[in-house]
Amino acid sequence: MSFDVDYFRALETPRLARLGPNVVAAAFPLMKLMPARFILDQAEKSGELKAGAHIVETTSGTFGMAVALLAAARGFHLTLVTAATLIDQAYQERLERLGAKVVALADEQGDGNQTGRLAHLRAVMENEPDTFWTRQYDSPGNWQSYARLAELFVRSMGQVDWLVGCIGTGGSLCGTGTFLRQVYPHLKIAAVDTHRSVLFGQPLGKRMLRGLGNSVLPANVRHHLVDEVHWVGAYAAYHSVHSLFRNQGIFMGPTSGAAALVGKWIGRTNPDSVVAVIMPDEGHRHANTVYDDKWLATLPGWPCTPVREPETLVAIEPRDEWEWTRFEWSRRLLDEVPQPIATS
Amino acid sequence: MPVVANDPEPTMLAKPAKGCAFGHHGELLQGVFEDDRGRLHRGLVTLPIDSLRSTAWIVLDGSGKLGVEPPSREKALRAAQLALAHLGYPSLGGRLKIESDIPVGHGYGSSTADVVASTRAVAAALGARFLPSTSSRLAVAAEVASDAIAFETEALLFAQREGVVLEHFGGSLPPFVLVGFKGDATAGVDTLELVPARYSPEEIQLFRVLRGMVGRSVRYQDAHLLGQAATMSARISQRHLPKPYFDVVVDIAAHHHAYGIQVAHSGSLFGLMLDAQSASRENIHTIIAALENRGFQDIGIFPINVEEGTHVL
Repeated sequence: MSFDVDYFRALETPRLARLGPNVVAAAFPLMKLMPARFILDQAEKSGELKAGAHIVETTSGTFGMAVALLAAARGFHLTLVTAATLIDQAYQERLERLGAKVVALADEQGDGNQTGRLAHLRAVMENEPDTFWTRQYDSPGNWQSYARLAELFVRSMGQVDWLVGCIGTGGSLCGTGTFLRQVYPHLKIAAVDTHRSVLFGQPLGKRMLRGLGNSVLPANVRHHLVDEVHWVGAYAAYHSVHSLFRNQGIFMGPTSGAAALVGKWIGRTNPDSVVAVIMPDEGHRHANTVYDDKWLATLPGWPCTPVREPETLVAIEPRDEWEWTRFEWSRRLLDEVPQPIATS
Repeated sequence: MPVVANDPEPTMLAKPAKGCAFGHHGELLQGVFEDDRGRLHRGLVTLPIDSLRSTAWIVLDGSGKLGVEPPSREKALRAAQLALAHLGYPSLGGRLKIESDIPVGHGYGSSTADVVASTRAVAAALGARFLPSTSSRLAVAAEVASDAIAFETEALLFAQREGVVLEHFGGSLPPFVLVGFKGDATAGVDTLELVPARYSPEEIQLFRVLRGMVGRSVRYQDAHLLGQAATMSARISQRHLPKPYFDVVVDIAAHHHAYGIQVAHSGSLFGLMLDAQSASRENIHTIIAALENRGFQDIGIFPINVEEGTHVL
């Protein structure tokens, strides 16, 4: 009996949503399945990942969930190293129900303690030489997997002029962008980051918007691909994701709200261009926070007026959570762009 | 059984039975592609040219010996024998004659066209008809690797070493005008002697995107998009089996606003893909003059899926 059925391939495939006359978004249930499945498939094919082996990764986010689903279905052991500040009880329990071991380290500085997490992970690997580390931050498989997204965009939209997406590990935006720009050399790329993320030269600090930006710089972030950077604050992203649900019935996480906000603006300001937006995950994990008025009421400065357009920065600087800034990156490398002196 | 036999007894015709097949102008896309189960296959999208043809004539007899003329067409002979066996008459013999206007050894698919024409001639002689998939499988059996020419103008992604279709794009290629030429007219290529390219993981992933572009270009009849995909495929091919003068062709294509560059990935052919609506006699002649000026040879104009009389040539 032959069926052309693959559950995880279907689950990693986005639904396409129109956000404007010239703007299409790929709304993923769980985008990180795309790199997770690709990296595990490659490692199984090459023999690097042996049957029943131990997989490790440092993540508190959706990449961990994606690897946990695949590890459960394919019979691998999994350890995820995260920080206590970054993981909520319900998410941890869901990962543990999938058989994953979750190690949540203390995080006194509130920046995710990525250094401590990596040290812990290396210690695990030294004890067990057959352990496979998925390395979402620097594995080429991460960005290469997004050729599938580039393919979906070209099949449904044809030529694409702008690509807009969140940046955390760099995989989705830089991967999709690398493939699309090879066939459409004129393609412009807008990276969506958040205040106090170090990816595009802001000083490190506490980030309120989870799942966006980073406190360290992954190798998969390819700065020279990026035409402009947008830093979207948490409150601006919350307003956007509320509007996405209320006005279009699209239920996504707040980072998708940040991407949609930027994508719609680029669509309005470039009416003759076709804009593709990447929206990485759904809103369920945020039902008790971003979609809960009682939780929102506890936030300092909330409610606030939704911001309608970005302020263009001349010099890179962090702002408040209601603010949205942009900067002409112009395909430069990180050290080619003047950066503020770290204040934290 | 993909065969319609009208007569249980073989009809011995004094009159020769005939089979035809097109040549092609290389490929719009060639690389490595996933099937439905995630396995990788070498595959290609052929660019058929209906004005280049091979015709096979066959007269069958009970001699058990099959001869071919010209005698160099051994693959066509082998294909005719396979077709006879497939139809249940392995012991018949006769005379096979190939008449072809397709130049040999330049990537026009002369060999596959002879092979497919021969299988069709055998089927016709026995009152049968092959589906394209059957002709393709026989062609692969006769010559190791093949192309999708048995499917005529149906656009598809074809695994040339297995003779199976990886994706039916659901129609014909979009209309465009092809200006074809040779980079080096002295360099014939034996397709089977070539070492297959070893593509990087990044290139294999990029082929996904190109496959998507070809699919879209067929569905929306978008020749511009097809040209962009073909150009990228030619660029990847250039990394593995470089053609001399590729950069010159890139410059001419850009200067004359061609939709794209198309190549025979394992031959010496180049093609410039032009918009069928705006390709006037004057601008085609300007391009031909530019090509001649740079020393390119055997320049030909091939309207692809263009209605008769709508193009000014």
